[in-house]
Amino acid sequence: MSADKKHLSEFQIALRNFKKNRLACLGVVILGLLYVAVIFAEFLSPYSYKNENRNYSYCPPTVIQFFDENRLVWPYVYGRQLEFNAYHGRIYTIDKTQKYPLRFFAPGDTYQWLGFLPGRRHLIGVSEPGRFYLLGADSRGRDVFSRLLYGGRISLSIGLIGVCISFTIGLIVGGVAGYYGGRVDDILMRICEMFMMVPGFYLLLALRSAVPDNFNSVQVYFAIVVILSFIGWAGLARIIRGMCLSLREREYVLAARTFGLSDRKIITGHILPHTVSYSIFAVMLSIPGYILGESALSLIGLGIQDPFASWGNMLSDAMSIVRIKFAPWILLPGFFIFVTVICFNVIGDALRDCLDPLLKSEVKG
Amino acid sequence: MCVMIARSQLNWSPLSRWIRNVLFRQRVFFSLISFCLFLPSLLPSAEETIPQKYGGQLVISTVSDPKTFNDIMAKETSSTIVTSHIFDGLTTTNAFTTKVEPHLAKSWQVSSDGLVWTFFLREGVRWNDGAPFSADDVVFTFNDLIYNPRIPSSAKDVFTIDGQPFKVEKVDDLTVRFTLPVKFAPFLRGMGQAILPKHKLKKAVEDEAFNFTWGIDTDPQEIVGTGPYKLVRYDPGQRLIFERNPYYWKLSPEGEQLPYLGRVVYLIVPSADVQLLKFLEGTIDIYNVRGSDFPYLKPLEKERNFTVYDLGPDMGSQFIFFNQNNGAHPETGKAYLPAHKLAWFTDLNFRRAVAHAIDRKKIIEIVNNGLGYPQYSSIGPGAGFFHTEEVVQYDFDLKTAKKILADAGYQDRNQDGILEDQEGHRLEFNLYTNAGNTERLDIAAIIRQDLENLGMKINFQSLEFNTLVSKLTSTFEWDAVVLGLTGGIEPHFGQNVWHSSGGLHMWHPNQETPATDWEKRIDELFSLGVQELSEDKRKVFYDEFQMIVSQKLPLIYTVLSAQMTAVRNKFVNLKPTNYGGVLHNLEEIYMKKEAR
Amino acid sequence: MWGYILKRFLVAIPILLAIAFVTFLLMRFTPGNYLDTMRMDPQYSKATIQHYEELYQLDKPLLQQYLQWIKNILRLEFGYSFYYNVPVVQIIGGRLWNTFVLSCASFLFTWGVALPLGITAALRRNQWLDRLIQFFSYVWLSVPSFFLAMILLYAASQTGFLPLGGMVSPNFEEMNFLEKALDILKHLAIPTIALSVGSIAALQRIMRGNMLEVLGQQYILMARAKGLPENKVVYHHALRNAINPLITLLGYEFSSLLSGAALIEIICGWPGLGALMLTAVRSKDIYLVMASMLMGSVLFIIGNLLADILLAKADPRIRYERG
Repeated sequence: MSADKKHLSEFQIALRNFKKNRLACLGVVILGLLYVAVIFAEFLSPYSYKNENRNYSYCPPTVIQFFDENRLVWPYVYGRQLEFNAYHGRIYTIDKTQKYPLRFFAPGDTYQWLGFLPGRRHLIGVSEPGRFYLLGADSRGRDVFSRLLYGGRISLSIGLIGVCISFTIGLIVGGVAGYYGGRVDDILMRICEMFMMVPGFYLLLALRSAVPDNFNSVQVYFAIVVILSFIGWAGLARIIRGMCLSLREREYVLAARTFGLSDRKIITGHILPHTVSYSIFAVMLSIPGYILGESALSLIGLGIQDPFASWGNMLSDAMSIVRIKFAPWILLPGFFIFVTVICFNVIGDALRDCLDPLLKSEVKG
Repeated sequence: MCVMIARSQLNWSPLSRWIRNVLFRQRVFFSLISFCLFLPSLLPSAEETIPQKYGGQLVISTVSDPKTFNDIMAKETSSTIVTSHIFDGLTTTNAFTTKVEPHLAKSWQVSSDGLVWTFFLREGVRWNDGAPFSADDVVFTFNDLIYNPRIPSSAKDVFTIDGQPFKVEKVDDLTVRFTLPVKFAPFLRGMGQAILPKHKLKKAVEDEAFNFTWGIDTDPQEIVGTGPYKLVRYDPGQRLIFERNPYYWKLSPEGEQLPYLGRVVYLIVPSADVQLLKFLEGTIDIYNVRGSDFPYLKPLEKERNFTVYDLGPDMGSQFIFFNQNNGAHPETGKAYLPAHKLAWFTDLNFRRAVAHAIDRKKIIEIVNNGLGYPQYSSIGPGAGFFHTEEVVQYDFDLKTAKKILADAGYQDRNQDGILEDQEGHRLEFNLYTNAGNTERLDIAAIIRQDLENLGMKINFQSLEFNTLVSKLTSTFEWDAVVLGLTGGIEPHFGQNVWHSSGGLHMWHPNQETPATDWEKRIDELFSLGVQELSEDKRKVFYDEFQMIVSQKLPLIYTVLSAQMTAVRNKFVNLKPTNYGGVLHNLEEIYMKKEAR
Repeated sequence: MWGYILKRFLVAIPILLAIAFVTFLLMRFTPGNYLDTMRMDPQYSKATIQHYEELYQLDKPLLQQYLQWIKNILRLEFGYSFYYNVPVVQIIGGRLWNTFVLSCASFLFTWGVALPLGITAALRRNQWLDRLIQFFSYVWLSVPSFFLAMILLYAASQTGFLPLGGMVSPNFEEMNFLEKALDILKHLAIPTIALSVGSIAALQRIMRGNMLEVLGQQYILMARAKGLPENKVVYHHALRNAINPLITLLGYEFSSLLSGAALIEIICGWPGLGALMLTAVRSKDIYLVMASMLMGSVLFIIGNLLADILLAKADPRIRYERG
């Protein structure tokens, strides 16, 4: 039990070290905000992800007006009108006769928050026929800001779930291989090598085409997560195996064995917990891979399917020079991917720095 | 060739450049011959210089590598775009009138029963290796290649009627006779079929190696055709270089030997965006403008010195269609489609409601920046003569659509926002389209949204093209699909789609007997149409066919994008047409002097 | 040593066969096959398509097809590509070279930039230069490479400094040797940068970490205590030991370079294997896919082997054991 206590205090030291890293703390705050925002996506977004108004194709971000004839008034937005110029370009003219005051807790698209809590209030909005595009609109006049929130729900969770799956596989395979060694180790490691040898992107494509196509959107989402994590587990398994190889020679494992504990208990109870500190930062560093993997799939049209949003499929819409030129705001999902990935990397690094002493004592000590 | 020499003797530079090119290609033997041919022309002649048109090069881009240089084996545009420069057919389609014209054949006769066609070949035509072209090549192309049971080709399917081939015979060196089993209206247009050289391919056929002959690993010198250009170099993934065929038979109206342009280069650029950048930069001379590019390119016309040509509606069509296949899997006995879904999709009211729910105006605005055309007829306006506007046109009207559905018994009975049929099944189905075509994805997404507005629940997915096709043609397990087909002028070539026995009769393929009366009538119309040689009488049949399709809506058409091409202002003699595009008269196009 | 190499290859053979088999299964059991594109063409009859099926032996039982393929492999025949109708080797050959050129460039660039950066960062730990380098590493790690490639192309089109995609200029044949080399280098620049920045950032961080760890070791303290000049301590003692662990990475990099480039090759129009593979996988050109997969795996094995041998050469403590 004393070991446990020491263990805890080491974690506390690590935590204190982590708090000293201001950049990492900033990362945690940003990520935290993002996660909170996407959890409350239905409420925070003015529109639903599929609320489209085709009269506002590529409508630029709405400017919120605070002054009316130089007088400070309740913020409002102007109505806008789409026209095509002689070159068939989109021109939005502001119609100053139409004013739509911003409304808080405005009624709008009905939703089921997290799938069960019905509601129709949105934090901010304007009444129809006005449209409020905080960050502009996409090709079909859907609100980019709303879609970013909904899309973030998919992109931010794809990494978490994916990592859970691949780490479970990796830990089990690595743990078993490392603990038993010998032939089991041999076979499992050959299988790992197989996975590492096959170029991941093509395996991804091949597996993607194996997904039954009568899946609905939720099933497709999980299929993509599973495929992505299926590709990522091998590397981890190898590292865990290496750690286990050294761990299984440790006194407490030998002790457990002499007590006659089952192999399963020894692996799950005495060996794998000691690989946790490595796993934590490895998790952080591998999450970005899932987000980027989904965006690569989306680029060739096989990621999350419209009308559902993910940062990846929104970014693939922006992969056109002409569209970026006329509607630069559609690049925003790229920016969000960018920020998220940076945050995960910064946090992962900081975790490694402060777990490092712990790690060494686990494996070497 | 002699004509060209006679007219261009005083201008040395392109001539020497040409010789240099030839020498550089190490075709010493050939260059010696040509040099000898040039010698007499060095003597001054009475004629003064005329504007020098020869030389220069045109750079085009293509999205993918050719798959073969073997025209018989070529299956898709990336290959045929290449072979079309190298090979010629007996006839060709006039790009302005879309009528059939003489090409390698200078004229023809047809017997009064319309079954025996005699073609008189042009004299003095040579293959680009110098060998003479003759009736033997035509007979060889048909009898030994197209009708060869060991060589699979689409040409065989086109030229076989009810399992019977044409009889092709040589009358003399410049005369070929075709005997048809029955009357076949598209015969003359079909004679645009490329003719391949017997002297080069005979051995491959005898060795049964033809299927793998003239693949992309072939030395370009081996690929011999009668067309205006010959392939001189192919770097996989990078480019194709063509040089003018010095033996090309065609003369300009002034009697100058064609083609004018010395080189045609195809750069292989997979990304459309990079094509656009390369065009603006000046590397590429021609760019196919998408509707979304137009607002960017058009204002730059003057500054960057190019012109955007609007050639009218595209030939290809995009449509949504529903599975109406009442069959069952032959082994498991499981129906391809659950009975209630089959009932919806075979219900004309259902399809009419869908037709009213397609927002063609907004699709054109959003997808094509307003540069497109709504389509209602199954033969698009690009086909010209056979197209008719006399069809049922469904305007976008969700109210009407809802009413049609409600009257037909599709109502929201349990107030969950989704319609149910009379037996209480929710109107929920899968909608597929192929990944990779952004325009089509957008069209499908817009349709999906409007169908949801009607109260249907739709699971939308884009699939790999091959996956989707295998659903349509072999497993038959699908509900609704948005897809496109390329079109042509000759309606009969769409028979595989429209005849109820056709494998591409996608909503209900391979029927033994037509499932509905209207399908039966379409089958009849196609049989009538192919046997009638008078174009005007044929048009009556195909007009009725278009009317039926618009009434019965097996395919519900959406929009046609405008076909636009931007060309650098370096070239003279461009005569863009809707059918032929910009390059249909490539051999007549020459470069402005200052641009060379 | 040769015995060791031989043994490694023998161990690899069953893995290669297994990979081939799994690839084969994946290609065959997922919906759609190569002929589907043809089925969609109104001008092909069913008979013609059947004919093609026979030609490509798609009508034979699965296991028979696989065994036939293995048999051919042993005779060094990799089969025909459905798509291109020529032997697979013919298609892969030239493209493999192009991919190799790109991979080498990217490899040299990555290591050439990342190692000095990592060392510099480690030596100036927590100073502004280190922070700057770390900051940019984070940035570059976070940009999807295909996106970066497109932005770079756009930038190139605005400045006119670098060519836009492709491998050589249109007038390539008319150049002399030096110009040709320069031309290819210019065309290499964008895909190389797009492909490398992510790995530079990653490798730099690993190098920095290793270097810091080594610099903290007792023998370095010892060397410093002995009064060796700092340069010598760093570059002679610390560097060697910090690089050793990276050699293992080298093996992995070797194979991953081949696979990671598909999207970039397409965007930059680089005529490499990646773009070819992508279409092959998507259009189910089975033998082309299998040959490429096999080749990728062989490269992986060679890469790992090279890494092991290098490691043994660099670090006398390591013997040839099974790894």
